[in-house]
Amino acid sequence: MSIDKKTIDRRTLLRGALAAAAIVPLSSALAACAGSSSDDDDNSSSKGGEKSANNPFGMAADSTTDAVIFDGGYGTDYVSFAATIMQKNHEGSTVKVSPTTEISQELQPRFVAGDPPDLIDNSGENSIGFSTILDQVEDLSDVLDANNLEGTKIRDTLFGGVEAPGTFDGKLAALNYVMTVYAVWYSSSLFEENGWTPPKTWDEALDLGAKAKAAGKYLFLWGKEAATYYQTLAIGSAIKQGGDEVRLALENLEANCWSNPDVQAVFEGLGKIIDAGYVKPGGAGTQFTAAQAQWSNNQDALLYPSGSWIENEMKDQTKAGFDMKGFPEMTVTADSALPYTALHSAAGEPFMIPSQGKNVPGGKELLRTMLSKEAATNFAKTKLAPTIVKDTVPADGFGSTALVSQSEMLTAAGSDVFTWSFVDLYGTNVDQLVVWNSFLAGKSSVKELTSRLQDITDKIREDDSIKKIPVT
Amino acid sequence: MIESPLVPTADTEKPRKKARQPWTFDRISFVLVFLVLPLALFSVFVVWPFVQAFWYSLTDWSGFTPDMNFVGLENYQKLLDDDIFMTSLRNNIFLAIVVPFVTVVLAFALATMITVGGSAHGATRGLKGSSFYRVISFFPYTIPAIVIGLIWLQMFDPSNGLLNGVLTGIGLDGFESYPWLGDTRTAMPASMFVIIWGFVGFYMVLFVAAIKSVPGELYDAARIDGAGRLRTAFSVTLPLIRDNVQTAYIYLGILALDAFVYMAALNPGGGPENSTLVMPQRLLITAFEKGQFGLASAMGVVMAVATLVFAAIVFTVNRLLGGRQEGVRR
Repeated sequence: MSIDKKTIDRRTLLRGALAAAAIVPLSSALAACAGSSSDDDDNSSSKGGEKSANNPFGMAADSTTDAVIFDGGYGTDYVSFAATIMQKNHEGSTVKVSPTTEISQELQPRFVAGDPPDLIDNSGENSIGFSTILDQVEDLSDVLDANNLEGTKIRDTLFGGVEAPGTFDGKLAALNYVMTVYAVWYSSSLFEENGWTPPKTWDEALDLGAKAKAAGKYLFLWGKEAATYYQTLAIGSAIKQGGDEVRLALENLEANCWSNPDVQAVFEGLGKIIDAGYVKPGGAGTQFTAAQAQWSNNQDALLYPSGSWIENEMKDQTKAGFDMKGFPEMTVTADSALPYTALHSAAGEPFMIPSQGKNVPGGKELLRTMLSKEAATNFAKTKLAPTIVKDTVPADGFGSTALVSQSEMLTAAGSDVFTWSFVDLYGTNVDQLVVWNSFLAGKSSVKELTSRLQDITDKIREDDSIKKIPVT
Repeated sequence: MIESPLVPTADTEKPRKKARQPWTFDRISFVLVFLVLPLALFSVFVVWPFVQAFWYSLTDWSGFTPDMNFVGLENYQKLLDDDIFMTSLRNNIFLAIVVPFVTVVLAFALATMITVGGSAHGATRGLKGSSFYRVISFFPYTIPAIVIGLIWLQMFDPSNGLLNGVLTGIGLDGFESYPWLGDTRTAMPASMFVIIWGFVGFYMVLFVAAIKSVPGELYDAARIDGAGRLRTAFSVTLPLIRDNVQTAYIYLGILALDAFVYMAALNPGGGPENSTLVMPQRLLITAFEKGQFGLASAMGVVMAVATLVFAAIVFTVNRLLGGRQEGVRR
């Protein structure tokens, strides 16, 4: 009798333990999310100081500015550099620069509690979806209208079109600080040795693939987390081929936007290269940095489509004398809607200033300092990447062929610079990765690729709970 | 009233009428420390977040604002229509079926060999050098899960991995650049292998401890009756450590219904065609990347329900297989 009873007791205990264990995944993820807000009333009245030429946003004296900066490929020291200048210019003020790699996880509870930082670099894998916090950030137009530390209006010192990626619904919600050029990268020394030239159309790329094969190499390779770099390449190429209507259809999540003939022609061109076996197999199981090293160090493949961060990212794993250079996306035919020199370029590293921050003027002042010639030149020099501030890269590119190549491409493109934002805006990259990994591995056809990308687009368009931002 | 609690009284058969005991300081402090405090902690840190998560799952909370709207069961409806989430649910269920079974079977086999599988002469003992094997097989458990994931990620690398290196080295050229984690056919089995590899040693040690507490005479008796090793394992060892097997099964099931760390290390994106995507991965993306905390909470509730259902199934199966009728209980 008593034995039986004991059994039941232990069972009950075990059940309780089980229930607790089952709840753990829930509570650990969500315990921090207490939806209660407390003191968000007095934020709007953040006491301002006197506005002046040196202090155009009226930052209060002796105030503290709290900046949370994504600690990725560019580190955070460039913000600290600007912070030092700012503390010198405003005696008594302090700037706290906190690095993090988990922007979203770290700041989510602070947004809910009405206590966000004054400046955020919302970048990296764990960044906050823009549509989520769009209503809660400042319009940064007044920063661009202010004078920089040297006394020139900031808007006049920037490259053209840099506001575009951070503008949503007419509001400049984020100012992207770093100029990123999307291109296809190659080793100019290797190309010279073999007498190869960068392809200008997809057909030329196919021919180059044959030559690469003859030399025991592949044309492309990819890594599983970065399969969508090929989507970026394909979209860029299709926009050049078909012009703005292609871009707008994709941006506005239109029905059948992936079936546009120009998009299809690009997919076909890439599909031919895959079918011919010019893409290194096994990418779907390779980490992207390992894959990139196979390109930059082993030179298993000739070309790699990526953003201009690639040089900095692979700095330690690039073969000596690689002489990295880039060329703009291939087009389908020579008579494309935009010229071959047109370029997919966008500013990256979006800096945002939450309206509920304790020191909004401080956040703006720090951003203004970062846009000064001194801070921007420091960035270009230490990170080998240009900021959105013009004329900070000298002719020798601080000794980097890729940096010079970027400047050349930007100059050649002139005003034919474009970008798009629907992938980041609606956070579809994760789902698209799956589709692209299959396609690059030769496991799915162009038709399947198209219909599955369309499904992802349709799902977003038909979900009423997701806020859509029309693009014109 | 309280003078003789140890002496059985005559009226044990009837429900005893309990006289209320006086609230002395001892009693009150006892109740406070051993009942109220744990209960309060449990409510605040376990029950309350659960209730909270369930409430969020009924709202359209984005996660970044203090306000939210009540939407009823819409999030659950959305989950049912979400083929990617359903894929991840299926993957978790598949994991919960395979991983505990294979791990328990392997761990049980190894434990038997180490404890009672040795020479048929003399005292019942394990194989020669069994303590060495025991230590060796426990090694993987001492490595953190994320490290196990990263180690095997390198092992499975298509171009430079040890596995393909060995396979092509012995002349199997078909494995040149074969993406173990990038092919729908192998991604899930390869990931399962990693989890099982990490846990067999631990559960083996658990079973070894259980078997050690079985009286040796039972094995001697079985042997005298002519039982072979296999018969001994199934007819003597298994029934006697049934509770341990059940516990192991449930813990492994909970692990398999999560499996986040391993999957996030091996295939952060969910694997080819989402073949290794698990629910917590989807939850994390939905919450922090897509800013849909309401929907993510609904996923969490589904996960919790799945875990409870799994536990219920294991208890039921154990009972149906006669877990309660066994005469020998410890």
